[in-house]
Amino acid sequence: MDVPQDLRYTADHEWARLEDSAVRVGLTDFAQEALGDVVFVQLPSVGATVVRGGELGEVESTKSVSQVYAPVGGTVVEVNAALTGQPERINTDPYGEGWLCVIEPSAPGEFEELIDAAGYLSLTQS
Amino acid sequence: MTLKHSTLHTEHLELGARLVDFGGWEMPLSYPDGTIAEHLACRNDAAVFDVSHLGTVRVEGPDSFELLQTSLTNDLNRIGPGRAQYQHLLDETDASVLDDIIVWWVAKERFDVMPNASNTARVISVLGGQDVTGERAVIAVQGPRARERLATVSPEAAAVGHFMVADFEFKGVSCRVAGTGYTGEDGVECAVPSEKAPDFWRAVVGAGVKPAGLGARDTLRLESGLPLHGHELGAGITPLQAGLGWVVSWDKGPFRGREALERERASGIRRRLRGLLAEGRRPPRRGDAVVFDGEALGVVTSGNFSPVLQRGIALAFVPPPTAMGDKVEIALRGSQVGAIVVKPPFQHLKLEGAIS
Repeated sequence: MDVPQDLRYTADHEWARLEDSAVRVGLTDFAQEALGDVVFVQLPSVGATVVRGGELGEVESTKSVSQVYAPVGGTVVEVNAALTGQPERINTDPYGEGWLCVIEPSAPGEFEELIDAAGYLSLTQS
Repeated sequence: MTLKHSTLHTEHLELGARLVDFGGWEMPLSYPDGTIAEHLACRNDAAVFDVSHLGTVRVEGPDSFELLQTSLTNDLNRIGPGRAQYQHLLDETDASVLDDIIVWWVAKERFDVMPNASNTARVISVLGGQDVTGERAVIAVQGPRARERLATVSPEAAAVGHFMVADFEFKGVSCRVAGTGYTGEDGVECAVPSEKAPDFWRAVVGAGVKPAGLGARDTLRLESGLPLHGHELGAGITPLQAGLGWVVSWDKGPFRGREALERERASGIRRRLRGLLAEGRRPPRRGDAVVFDGEALGVVTSGNFSPVLQRGIALAFVPPPTAMGDKVEIALRGSQVGAIVVKPPFQHLKLEGAIS
């Protein structure tokens, strides 16, 4: 299982990457593995306001429906429209082409409170 | 509760299978390539499924024919020894389908009855017979190239005709094969004694047949419009509601549940199972409402993503007047998605013009 060192994580298996002031969000390798083949993704709209831990979207696989939660609160400034037609990118490249959206945080401190790679790894192994 | 394991459990673990509890058995849900790859392998080439969780109940003796003929809905006189038949076992009082079953007519006074995993005890309570489920593995080899690939392992098994039953030998043990399956593709199901089942499985996989789990088995059967007991069949659901009137032989005389089913036939069914093709990829799910002109009049019994069509598909109970081509909406977790009433198998539908 791949857990990149330079990312932050949530206990709900989202990853977050700080890019200048914005935060790119996706699902972890552990999450995509557990979901199985992703066949549909519901993304937020650009401009939507999200709160930390609140609903960000939905991913559906051949076997289940799962909620995605916002790692940080803020405004959605970009979404990965390619996932609409190719949601399998979440499986094939969870930390790259499978990204979900970019959030402009309203409270920058929230990113720092996310779990680091070592913490996430131990969480998935417990 | 302790989960039962197939005799192929070690093989599944070695292949990296993700396991799932199904009807009291821990069975492969998928292998590392995933459900969709397994599904497409079965549609385009060949896939192999461990379906050892299906029951095998051996019913034999001079009364066995009459017992099955009066207990089950279909007419055994339409077939004969060496053939297989799809059957329903009905509830006496309301004609609910207690189980849907494939009967392998092995010899004149000998039948191998194959119930669903969780219904084996129920079937035995009606038919009696001996539960031989634990003595064998059942290995389904399915797909357009299934026979060609299986022929390198066992030409005899690969040669069994559609809905025919035959014995064959593998490494010195006697096995049984039927030209049946649950994928909508050509193929066979092989009952192999436990001691040789791992060898047989390995040989089939070695012949280039892709291992596939229950996830793909479910998407394949749904895409082909085949019912799953507990979803499209079960308590309160009759063969007529499920659109499976052909499984009921009205001209064979008495059978269990016949009177109740006759009453429904006379009064008319209150709902009918139909296929729904959704507008987009989002999978409908069991329990989603089917909305007709703003009124929720139907319900999804099974829904998922069709890997062939790349669309959401479903089986649903709808009011009987519903016709092919009718437009409906499916209430999908807060949003409504357009869908069209279609006749499965879904994988053969031509999408152009199906949804405007």
